[in-house]
Amino acid sequence: MNGYIHSFESMAAVDGEGLRYAVFLSGCPLRCIYCHNPDTWKGEGMAFSPEELLKKVIAYKPYFKNNGGVTFSGGEPLLQAEFIAECVELLREKNINYAIDTSGATELNDAVKYVLINAQTVLLDLKFPDNDSYIKYTGKGIENVLKTLDFLEKNNVPTRIRTVVIPGINDSEEKLLKYLVHINNKECVYRYELLPFHTMGFFKYEKLGLDNPLKDTMPLDMNVRDRLQKFVNSKLAKGIDI
Amino acid sequence: MADYKRGFIEGNWTTAIDVSDFIKKNYTPYTGDASFLLGTTSRTDRVKKRVDELIIEETKKGGVLNIDTEHVSSLLTYKPGYVIKGDDIILGLQTDEPLKRAVNPFAGYRNAVQACKAYGYEIGENIKNEFRYRTTHNTGVFRAYTDTMKKARHAGILTGLPDAYARGRIIGDYRRIALYGMDYLIEQRKADKVRIGQRDMSDETIRLLEDIERQIEFMLQLVTMAKEYGCDISRPAENAYEAIQWLYFGYLGAVKEQNGAANSIGRISAFIDIYIERDIKEGTLDEQGAQELIDDLVLKMRLVRHLRTPEYNDLFAGDPVWVTCSLAGMCEDGRTMVTKTCYRFLQTLYNLGPSAEPNITVLWAQELPQNFKDFCAKVSIDTDSIQYENDDVMRKDFGDDYAIACCVSAMKTGKQMQFFGARCNLAKVLLMALNGGREEAHGDQIAPEGKVFDEKPLVYDEVIEAFKTYASWMAKLYVNTMNVIHYMHDKYAYERLMMSLHDVEPERLMAFGISGLSVLADSLSAIKYARVTPIKDENGLIVDFKTEGDFPKYGNDDERADSIAKWITEFFYGELCKTKTYRNARHTLSILTITSNVVYGKKTGSTPDGRRAGEPFAPGANPMHGRDCEGALASLNSVAKLDYACCMDGISNTFSITPEALGTDEDNRVENLTNVLDGYFLQKAHHLNVNVLNRQKLIDAMNDPSLYPTLTIRVSGYAVNFNKLTRDKQLEVIARTFHETM
Repeated sequence: MNGYIHSFESMAAVDGEGLRYAVFLSGCPLRCIYCHNPDTWKGEGMAFSPEELLKKVIAYKPYFKNNGGVTFSGGEPLLQAEFIAECVELLREKNINYAIDTSGATELNDAVKYVLINAQTVLLDLKFPDNDSYIKYTGKGIENVLKTLDFLEKNNVPTRIRTVVIPGINDSEEKLLKYLVHINNKECVYRYELLPFHTMGFFKYEKLGLDNPLKDTMPLDMNVRDRLQKFVNSKLAKGIDI
Repeated sequence: MADYKRGFIEGNWTTAIDVSDFIKKNYTPYTGDASFLLGTTSRTDRVKKRVDELIIEETKKGGVLNIDTEHVSSLLTYKPGYVIKGDDIILGLQTDEPLKRAVNPFAGYRNAVQACKAYGYEIGENIKNEFRYRTTHNTGVFRAYTDTMKKARHAGILTGLPDAYARGRIIGDYRRIALYGMDYLIEQRKADKVRIGQRDMSDETIRLLEDIERQIEFMLQLVTMAKEYGCDISRPAENAYEAIQWLYFGYLGAVKEQNGAANSIGRISAFIDIYIERDIKEGTLDEQGAQELIDDLVLKMRLVRHLRTPEYNDLFAGDPVWVTCSLAGMCEDGRTMVTKTCYRFLQTLYNLGPSAEPNITVLWAQELPQNFKDFCAKVSIDTDSIQYENDDVMRKDFGDDYAIACCVSAMKTGKQMQFFGARCNLAKVLLMALNGGREEAHGDQIAPEGKVFDEKPLVYDEVIEAFKTYASWMAKLYVNTMNVIHYMHDKYAYERLMMSLHDVEPERLMAFGISGLSVLADSLSAIKYARVTPIKDENGLIVDFKTEGDFPKYGNDDERADSIAKWITEFFYGELCKTKTYRNARHTLSILTITSNVVYGKKTGSTPDGRRAGEPFAPGANPMHGRDCEGALASLNSVAKLDYACCMDGISNTFSITPEALGTDEDNRVENLTNVLDGYFLQKAHHLNVNVLNRQKLIDAMNDPSLYPTLTIRVSGYAVNFNKLTRDKQLEVIARTFHETM
């Protein structure tokens, strides 16, 4: 089957281990108010067969070395889990690993499970700590996210949890403590990353003619991010790589 | 008499001039890490402080501190000069004072006069009188130039030609002075003359005999020059200090005699390391002393200056000398050529601060020790001062004792020399082909008259046929122009000292160049895959294009566009090879513009790829900025496809990335950068300039996007090309980065 792809980034060095070839798949079930990729919301994009995608990826194998590989991102890549599953077969033949960068908002169907279990790393968003905030800021509840995390835990999939810290919404120690409840007993989580809110996707809202709810919000000060990162690291249970 | 060879393993080098053999028999490969390195001594700090003060003063004075207008630059023209007398370890300056520039009119008198005038000086009577009766290189060239050559030059199709300044790019094997002493080298050259004198007196034999005599004259002068600094270089060096000092005298003599565009020092680290290792073993030197020697040598390299006109500086973005210093690489027997002294040279970037000079060039090989790769990556990230070139590719043709001249030009040290050939603007050749041989800016008929394309959508095959016809014509003109230039340079501005430090009959390379590769590739791709219609002015000259629809662009690892770029280099190289060169030089080709891509762009009309008239080209072999939209590695992969076999004078690529995009922390960035370099060079790519950008570079990039065409800003899971951001956004990013580093 064909996948629908928004764009490629041949050098994604911070979305997984090593050097990564990022494939941004089209379509997302969420409408996060702070989204920096609103141009990936719609399910349309360039059609690629798994073989065509592999052909692109293989050109980057010289850079992957021991731990680099492909990162499926989006949009929400797991909306196209069946396509990814077909790609996984081909990647495996070429000995190329992959990571999944997901919101965890999709149902855990067989294809999603297959794709998650076989990933080298899963980068899972924990956007908010509770159902109400999830609904308020993303349009969907927290249930699938927590189910996804449980699934990763049960299957021992190396997982990075990521949270975007937005000034005025969740940029305090008190707010972040609530997130930790979901993480600190999970053996599969080897890192918890706080990502600073930034404004470099704002131009896309203008270009797409979309209303940008956070247009007056400033980027998060990196010093604040560093302080908060230190704080959550110190609170997390042992065994978590800071 | 001292035993200069004590502790060294003998070999062919003991009975003939063979520095490479000496190195291989005696050097100590180093695979450890950087932990042995040391900082500066208080003496180094004092000299460094003085050098910094002088450079600040130089900048304040508009770029030139002082000019000696009374003397013509040569080996014995000036009294000895010092930075701080008593504190200098490695002795010798170009003139009697640091940063005081010499007047060197041998390649072009008018240029020298104008350069003086631009900085408020006038050439002295002595020099005026001398050059009233002397033919310069520049005069000779213009006597012989044909009208067509002048037209192509004037239109900027052949551009940057070394016809008014010295050609440079020649590297003397300065190590020979230290290993053998000048007496032996002079004796050998006299023997060469006797041997060559047995031949029939052809033009070439007579020229060679005269060359040899000119070389010996300057070899003797070099001995005298060193004596004025209290050193006896007629004999070999006894220890590490002398080895460095002796070879530096050779380099110094060369830059006193010549003001070529690039004056590179060669591949000296393993050679020096042998002497340092011996001294350490003998207990006469320790690590601090070894580092101090290298620090002082590098400080001296940073003081080299030539007097240039402001136009020249505009072309090359400043005042470069290209004191290129080649490090590392592999030995053909499989050992690494990394020594502790490679580390010591890199350490100067910490001890003395980041700098463009010397132009530190790491010869990268897959088999280099991981420790060394990691240290290089760390130094790159911290200083942005290293360029990398693929030893695995170059070693095949140049062996394991080649060095890089200028930016990317490899040559076997002491065994090959180069006739520098600047470059041909191939984007302009396309426009000339469409205009039936007329130049697009002024309408002058430069090439033979041909078919002018109509204001109808261009047909790819027809355009290619016309392009081939005109590029072929241009290649012939280009080779012939170069022949004139180098004939005259040999006649009127011959590099006596540098050539005396080569084998008597070195192989000659004639290095041609292409500018506008990415513009031409994208233009041809546009004609092939989109719909391009020429637009003419009232004189029937094509001055613009309407380009409708999308087309594949070089820089996205897209075979459709990349194969066009590859074809252009192969085709043009093939055409160049059809015309015989002066002194039977071997044709080579580079894809290199340094920073002159901006000026070439200014002189080139609108092109079918959508580039407007006057807009800068991308530098070297880089894809056009803003057109590589699949990220850094896709861009690298496109460039890696160009074949070194037809571009043996180098394929230059500049890669810029932010620390945040490169990795999450220092260790991660180091690991990722070494993987980028390994992956790129594994694909037989040739060269990479690495920029891991700090705030200042972002500001420079904002003011001139072509400086850093692939600059990527990555903010956790999101990447943008910095050049695509609006100015406000760029300012925002700059402000934020500034804030972080405060």
